[in-house]
Amino acid sequence: MVGGINDPPLSSGGGGLWVLTPSGSAPGETRRKSEMLDSLLAFGGLMLLRDSVEWEGRSLLKALIKKSALCGEQVHILGCEVSEEEFREGFTSDINNCLVYHDLFRDPLNWSKTGEALPGGPLGALTAMCRRTDPGPVTIALDSLSWLLLHLPCTTLCQNLHALSHQNSSLGDSSVQQVRVLGLLHEELHGPGPLGALSSLAQTEVILGGTVGQASAYILCRRPQQRPTHQTNWFSILPDFSLDVQEGPPVESQPHPDPHTSLVDPMTHLTFNLRLSKKEREAKDSLTLPFQFSSEKQQALLRPGQGQATSHVFYEPDAYDDLDQEDPDDDLDI
Amino acid sequence: MAAEATCGAGAGSTGSLAAAVGMSNVTSFQRRGPRVGGADSGGPRLMSIAGTRPSVRNGQLLVSTGLPALDQLLGGGLAVGTVLLIEEDKYNTYSPLLFKYFLAEGIINGHTVLVASAKEDPAVILQELPAPLLDDSRKQELDEDIYNHKTPESNSKMKIAWRYQLLPKMEAGPVSSSRFGHYYDASKRIPQELIEASKWHGFFLPEKISSTLKEEPGSLTPGYIKLLQFIQNIIYEEGFDGSNPQKKQKNILRIGIQSLGSPLWGDDIFCTENCDNSHSLTKFLYILRGLLRTSLSVCIITMPTHLTQNKAVIARVTNLSDTVVGLESFIGSERETNPLYKDYHGLIHIRQIPRLNNLICDESDVKDLAFKLKRKLFTIEVRDFYVSYIKG
Repeated sequence: MVGGINDPPLSSGGGGLWVLTPSGSAPGETRRKSEMLDSLLAFGGLMLLRDSVEWEGRSLLKALIKKSALCGEQVHILGCEVSEEEFREGFTSDINNCLVYHDLFRDPLNWSKTGEALPGGPLGALTAMCRRTDPGPVTIALDSLSWLLLHLPCTTLCQNLHALSHQNSSLGDSSVQQVRVLGLLHEELHGPGPLGALSSLAQTEVILGGTVGQASAYILCRRPQQRPTHQTNWFSILPDFSLDVQEGPPVESQPHPDPHTSLVDPMTHLTFNLRLSKKEREAKDSLTLPFQFSSEKQQALLRPGQGQATSHVFYEPDAYDDLDQEDPDDDLDI
Repeated sequence: MAAEATCGAGAGSTGSLAAAVGMSNVTSFQRRGPRVGGADSGGPRLMSIAGTRPSVRNGQLLVSTGLPALDQLLGGGLAVGTVLLIEEDKYNTYSPLLFKYFLAEGIINGHTVLVASAKEDPAVILQELPAPLLDDSRKQELDEDIYNHKTPESNSKMKIAWRYQLLPKMEAGPVSSSRFGHYYDASKRIPQELIEASKWHGFFLPEKISSTLKEEPGSLTPGYIKLLQFIQNIIYEEGFDGSNPQKKQKNILRIGIQSLGSPLWGDDIFCTENCDNSHSLTKFLYILRGLLRTSLSVCIITMPTHLTQNKAVIARVTNLSDTVVGLESFIGSERETNPLYKDYHGLIHIRQIPRLNNLICDESDVKDLAFKLKRKLFTIEVRDFYVSYIKG
């Protein structure tokens, strides 16, 4: 499990550091149940919940909805994939009364023409939410983004999501976002293009996975002026949609690549020696370099006649040597 | 509505403010000729544009990118009339920095700045520009960094090459006395009065496109058309293409386009496999380059090329841009925990340098570059992995 990286912000405008405390230091202890939800709901913007067939995300979505409703926020739900009854199942009645449900499941193409269906189809529903003018914090849950991606062009959806999640952000107040958009995305349905496009828009991304019996959430958080941080939480969801954060599976079963093995690798095949043993280092340090001006040399130069050899030049002239310095042509026979 | 800062003071007040940050208007080589203050001066006036200098190799007019290290890698600076394309890193952490340095350099030099974005309001982008480092504080920053930079090694004196002990461990930056490139403090914001004194134009796509227009196949997306018209209007009205001969002082237009090609611009080239209008982006770049070549402007574009795997698209976009720089950050990759890479935040790849009026280009010899964002400065260095590994 990777702990959060505590880095200084890239500019001074971001709101505070988000310090992630790694959970699970004491085995068997059910840690702060709501901390994971609190940290997820601390920031606004778009949150992407990526699930798959094996690890479904709707229950986590409902847990987040329940938590926001308990905090007193307005909650709007755009339901496309499951019916309203099925979605409301499991919530208590007071939470159900707080939820505003926009139903696209029953009659998405408005065939029944009873006037109950949302006008304009999915696009109309999204743009209507963008033009909402109620003040105060609001959570919008989109169940699911995959359905919307299949019915709308990707660019239109991205533009509307961006407009939705950046409502009410005025010029000087961009650090406090009033709107939170939770989008459920089934990542197996889409290619890397739409997935990448939506990921780049999201402020928080939760990728659901897990090993046998335990679900995990890999949370990647991108604050605007700061480096992205990531952590992994192991959790399970109780029937009343509250979250239970747990200790992960034992470490031996996790195939983490050992970082220490890669430490040795670059240095094994070099033809020169990069390491010095202690004796070698001592010998190296005590070596006097030829041009080093040490104090001994200084003394030797300052006191020339004290037994230290003054230099004498011994010269034995050769047969061809010219001893007369003045006439260079002395040995010429002219 | 295009947000235009109405600045009553022209070059005069920017000159005085720029002098406050220690900038001079002339290069170190000054031609003796007619003074450039006169309105009817017929002599060459290109060298007197603030913030520019001619290239030492071919005389091309260059502007600074805002990062002196990047200027040196690009052969002195960015040529006027060209496009600098930045391929964004995966989580878009560092490419906004380069974008902001470019714009901040424009504000400091008194250039006109045009910011186009589909994501953020241009006024907000301008508020978040980094503050310039003044001369003495810059020296202080560099000295501080030299002192902090691997202190165990700085304590061990060199025995053989002891003359080099006194040299700074980092590139000292531009040596010339003309302030061509400035250093910026990434942790502070630019003073508000500098922004207000500067002339800038903003293009925020959601405000310009109110309804979803039906686009014709084979043409540009509506967002691109609007942006090109906006740029063309600014160039024409403010005389960057020489259309207003009564204009007193020539100036450079710095254009910054953020995240071009992303779905927020209405272009699906990066998010769908077989998109219908796959030539919209390439047409945009072609037309933009035509606009830039005929005016005194320079453009920076950041593009999320990591979203697509299609090499053909990336190759076409690269060919249509002049200078291409790619950023690859180590966040989220396995290199983040690798001890070999721990000093750096990512790699920087110079993918293309243009050949302008030349047969060869100014490629630097060094291909292995890494960047790191220190507390205040953004530095680009040659990758120095083994040495840093030995020193621990």
